[in-house]
Amino acid sequence: MRGPLLFKDIDTPGLAAIATYRAGGGYEPLTSTLGAKSPDECIEIVKASGLRGRGGAGFPTGLKWSFVPKNSPKPKYLVCNADESEPGTFKDRELMEKNPHLLIEGMILSAYAFNANTGYIYLRGEFEYIQRILDSAIAEARAAGFLGDRVAGTGFRFELYTHLGAGAYICGEETALLSSLEGYRGQPRLKPPFPAVEGLYACPTVVNNTETLMNVPHILKHGAAWYRQWGTEKSPGTKILSVSGPVKKPGNYEVALGLPLRRLIEEQCGGMREGVKVKAVIPGGSSVPLLPASLLDTGLDYESMNAVGTYLGSGGVIVIDDRTCIVDAMYNVTRFYEHESCGKCTPCREGTYWMSEVFERLETGKGRPGDVDLLADVSDNILGKSFCALGDAAAMPVLGAIKHFREEFDHHVTHGRCLVNRRVEEIAAGAGAVGARA
Amino acid sequence: MSATVRVNINGRAIEVPAGTLVTDAARVAEVHVPIFCSHAKLPPLGACRICVVEIGVPRLGPDRKPVFGPDGAPEIAWMPKVQTGCTTAVTDGMHVRTESPVAIQARKGVMEFLLVNHPLDCPVCDEGGECQLQDLAFAFGADFSRMSDAKRTFVSEDLGPIVKKEANRCIVCMRCVRYCDEVMGDDALTAHQRGVRTEISSFNRQPLECEQCGNCIEVCPVGALTALPYRFQARPWDLRQHITVCPYCSNGCSVRLGVRGMEILRARGTEYRGVNEEYLCVRGRFGYEFVNSADRLTSPLLRVGGALSPAGFDEASTYAAARLKEVAATHGPGAIAFLGGEKLNLEEQYLMQKLARAVLGTNHIDARTRFTAPVGGSAFLRATGGGSAALTFEDLVHAQEVLVLGEDLQGEAPFAQSVLVRGQHQFGLHLTVAHPRRVKLARAKFRGDWLAIQPGSELALIHALTRAALEAGPAPGTPPDVAAGLATLRGALAGPQSESEIGDQAAAIASAAGRLLKAERKAIVFGRAIAEHPEAPALLQAIENLGWATGALTRDRSSVMYCGPNSNSQGALDMGLTPDRLPGYIGVGDAAARQPFEQQWGGTLPSSNGLTAPEILEAAAQGKIRALWIAGDHWLRSAPDRALAEKALETCDLVIVSELFLTDTAKRAHVVFPAAAFAEKEGVVINSERRLQRAARALSPRRGAKADWEILQSVARALGANWSYRTPEDVFREITRLVPGFRGLSWAHLLPLGHQWTLPTPLPANLVAPSRAPAGARASAEQGLTLLSGGTLFLQGSLSYRGATLPKLAQAARAWLHPGEAERLGIEEGEAVEVAGPSGAFRVDAAIDDSVPPGSVFVPYAYAGVEINRLGVVPGAGARVRVTKIASARVGV
Repeated sequence: MRGPLLFKDIDTPGLAAIATYRAGGGYEPLTSTLGAKSPDECIEIVKASGLRGRGGAGFPTGLKWSFVPKNSPKPKYLVCNADESEPGTFKDRELMEKNPHLLIEGMILSAYAFNANTGYIYLRGEFEYIQRILDSAIAEARAAGFLGDRVAGTGFRFELYTHLGAGAYICGEETALLSSLEGYRGQPRLKPPFPAVEGLYACPTVVNNTETLMNVPHILKHGAAWYRQWGTEKSPGTKILSVSGPVKKPGNYEVALGLPLRRLIEEQCGGMREGVKVKAVIPGGSSVPLLPASLLDTGLDYESMNAVGTYLGSGGVIVIDDRTCIVDAMYNVTRFYEHESCGKCTPCREGTYWMSEVFERLETGKGRPGDVDLLADVSDNILGKSFCALGDAAAMPVLGAIKHFREEFDHHVTHGRCLVNRRVEEIAAGAGAVGARA
Repeated sequence: MSATVRVNINGRAIEVPAGTLVTDAARVAEVHVPIFCSHAKLPPLGACRICVVEIGVPRLGPDRKPVFGPDGAPEIAWMPKVQTGCTTAVTDGMHVRTESPVAIQARKGVMEFLLVNHPLDCPVCDEGGECQLQDLAFAFGADFSRMSDAKRTFVSEDLGPIVKKEANRCIVCMRCVRYCDEVMGDDALTAHQRGVRTEISSFNRQPLECEQCGNCIEVCPVGALTALPYRFQARPWDLRQHITVCPYCSNGCSVRLGVRGMEILRARGTEYRGVNEEYLCVRGRFGYEFVNSADRLTSPLLRVGGALSPAGFDEASTYAAARLKEVAATHGPGAIAFLGGEKLNLEEQYLMQKLARAVLGTNHIDARTRFTAPVGGSAFLRATGGGSAALTFEDLVHAQEVLVLGEDLQGEAPFAQSVLVRGQHQFGLHLTVAHPRRVKLARAKFRGDWLAIQPGSELALIHALTRAALEAGPAPGTPPDVAAGLATLRGALAGPQSESEIGDQAAAIASAAGRLLKAERKAIVFGRAIAEHPEAPALLQAIENLGWATGALTRDRSSVMYCGPNSNSQGALDMGLTPDRLPGYIGVGDAAARQPFEQQWGGTLPSSNGLTAPEILEAAAQGKIRALWIAGDHWLRSAPDRALAEKALETCDLVIVSELFLTDTAKRAHVVFPAAAFAEKEGVVINSERRLQRAARALSPRRGAKADWEILQSVARALGANWSYRTPEDVFREITRLVPGFRGLSWAHLLPLGHQWTLPTPLPANLVAPSRAPAGARASAEQGLTLLSGGTLFLQGSLSYRGATLPKLAQAARAWLHPGEAERLGIEEGEAVEVAGPSGAFRVDAAIDDSVPPGSVFVPYAYAGVEINRLGVVPGAGARVRVTKIASARVGV
């Protein structure tokens, strides 16, 4: 048993098949909820459970559903954001691969709660093989009567489709996702109107993360109080954390929210690999500021992370060891955002390019006095001025890194090389190029 | 009017309508908030971020009421991040700071980012000197660059003959892409790639497939898109800039001409002025080139011994006057007729009819030389509401339902088309387009309904619409007398219906009528196709009926627009360049109403209706008209029958022509006056909104040329009249003293935007079932293809082909055929064909396009080598021509 809830039976062989899924109690929450509980009751239960969006922003799910106008004559849509592209995050991939029916069941129940009759699963472009898994699961669910005009024999109608993105990180941003789903250029849209009011095809739309939706059947089956046995007051439930970096056992871990970071690394992941120590951890995917080793006792929940100036984000825990150059690591991250900036707004488009150029100078030993301040200043000029969160995501990690590891940046300027660098050491030792630098 | 809210911007309290964007509110408060991506005709985007400001709203206490500080003022909760002013609507009590350290730093940061990859090549950039990026960098940017690394670069591209793209200068504001899509309806531009590599281009990086309007250049805030014809021609500070009115169509767009020395180097829109603001169509932007032409007439010409030879101006006017006197003495004033004048300014039109009526004593005067049927002078005014407040373009963009009757607005009124495209795209306007061809607005992308009318069945269509509206009606607010008239009309129209003529479209027609009737804001637009139709008098009456039946016409507001064939067609009607109406639609036979004119002008005026243009054509050919004055009209091209017009010119004892060029018409004249072009004279023109707009003089007339008002005055004085107008403004003052609806106006009020004139007492509704023209005037029974004609975007009238850019865009003339028809006739794209009518033929290359219906051929009329009026049939009414393939030949005119 790898986790208390979503990962409880994730490794059951053949779980992707509907028979196995049902044998383990699958679709029971659906049949026991539809007709028995009113949509409003479902929203109330999810509200009471305190479930927060697992995609990164942590917005209360029940509240989001309640924003959908009840009397709108327009059709309503539920969109599953399965464009999992946050660097360091690989949880939805495993969930969908192994347990597609839980997502389908979660979507049906969520759609029931705010009366959507159409759902889309927007998958990142690389998830073509997952699309095949989901499509066959959807076909099974339809054959079993869980999708279609009469879901589980009730009057509720729900159709579900998968859609493959074309390889843009920005399409994980919900409004860019909707633009892409409509066939337009994947760029974020102005908010308001928020998707709950005008989303897909200008109709009320809820966009939820894969993991969020998969929590819903459990919550509706067992109730809010049961769900709150895990986690903290403000962050109830469990969270799947994708741990990468030089720990002994990297991978996905489902833990109760609030678990201190140190315990995650030492207990779940078996500690650090031989010879290295934690220098910093990026707790929520590459978009959030890193935490220095001194803050390892912070709990992995939304509020504790905010209190130390970072975010739980998508739960992509990237562990950086003491032999990795932080400048190298941040250059890697910056190049990612420069490549993925959609180009809509000026600060993100031009700023990430400029940051990348400065980093390249630092990396190639051509850093000049003032470059670190320039980097901080450029990042600061992006922060809070970009159209969507991508600009902030590019700026925050670099600002955090400069704040905590200024001496490594300065070293690049003054010495033209890294203060620490496992790769260089390994190359010197003839071990070949293995390591953090992509 | 919506409620207003109080906003505080930089400490200044203002009140603006709720929903106003912060950037617009700042303008009211006289605070400059810079913008790039924001554009008045496009919805907010919020991409460039240059308009970032600090915004705060009153802090609310637990009781949801504002919290007041110790000074009694509400406490302001400032938002933690800066906000874009172009996307944020003001709310009551909002505070905005544009000059706080946070706002300044944010703006400076964005400005710096905008220049990170900008090449800073202002010295070689056409935009330099009028570049928003340059201006704002100067105003808000740093004086040095911290960006010392390599810039991202692109290769420059020519996107066709008009647009030059230097993507390195682009700031990705997306104005061009969005304008092209949402206002032009062309969707020719797109963004390639993403992030810092985002590059604007055509979809396939081939020349743009679009109207070539160049509005992408106009809205580009930097020098990324520049005009190839103007490239490296001038620096903006070397140009004198004058705002005049475009001479091409009836929409009356304001054009800002850039003049250096005696040459016009460019034309631009006017930003926040004129009906069009920044918009210009391709003719407006490049059609001025004829003014610069070396072929302009520079001296009056007199026919001496069979040949035209140069003469002095006074000599020419004295000669013209003497010859006119001679004709009047020999044959009576009824042997003199005046034609043309639709392109003249209002003051000149007034003087032209004054010369005819007051000095010479003839009512044979008609500006509408292309008309094929005799149309009364007030028919258009009645069809558009009788002189009540006229429909505006602003009304049009916000209309819910618009019926375009028989017109291809792309060719005849491009601005009106852009207004409808924008209304459809942004405000949910629904279009119904009745046209034989699937013209641009009828395309599926505009989601309207296309009523494919059979040429010749226009009257049946309008009747069917009217009947459907009457059955579902009456429209709310119909006055009782009109309702009574409509009831009678319903009976009169209920007769035998020509079902065969409207074919299988009865249901579509009924639903179109229903939509018009139901819509609160609606409009009907028609133009040349109706006006020049052989059944025009009946059609105009039918449109008046339809207008009242659908509620488009009301007592105080009209929703019917006439887009006339020329820039001042409306003025020609208003100034009485018609045989039966004095200026202001006063009947020539109305002795009482005529009296002020007689008093002002001296003497008695002829009181019986004169001949209309088609009647003058006949009469002149028969020798009943002995003298013709043709003003600014290439009659041999515009007259419906060229052979008859040639005969008329030969038969007349005296032909006086005022022209810019030695046209075929001028070549046959006895006296030719070299006329000044639109940009070379001041005066008023009236557009299809019935809006008076004053056009400025951008440059002096070409040496030797005179404005038509000077020519007319000179001849009038030589005839003994005591005219002494020093400027057109003197003429305008006389108009405002005499003409109902113009009283009290002054030139000073008529700079763009001008004033829409109304009749003090609108003409009453006249609801009768028009009788059909005799069958002979309608479709001929001959075999062949139905002849369709019309304007095209790139060429219109006889001036457009005198420049360089428009003919290049227009390429060679073509006869357009449906693919099926071409196959049947064995004709392939580009092959030469002969188009033959009963009395003539011409050769032209064929082109294939499925927007032309089967069984017909579409031949645009404005090409130099194509003279449709030689065929001996009138296009558009179902007349047929033979189209035959000429073996192995290309014409390539």
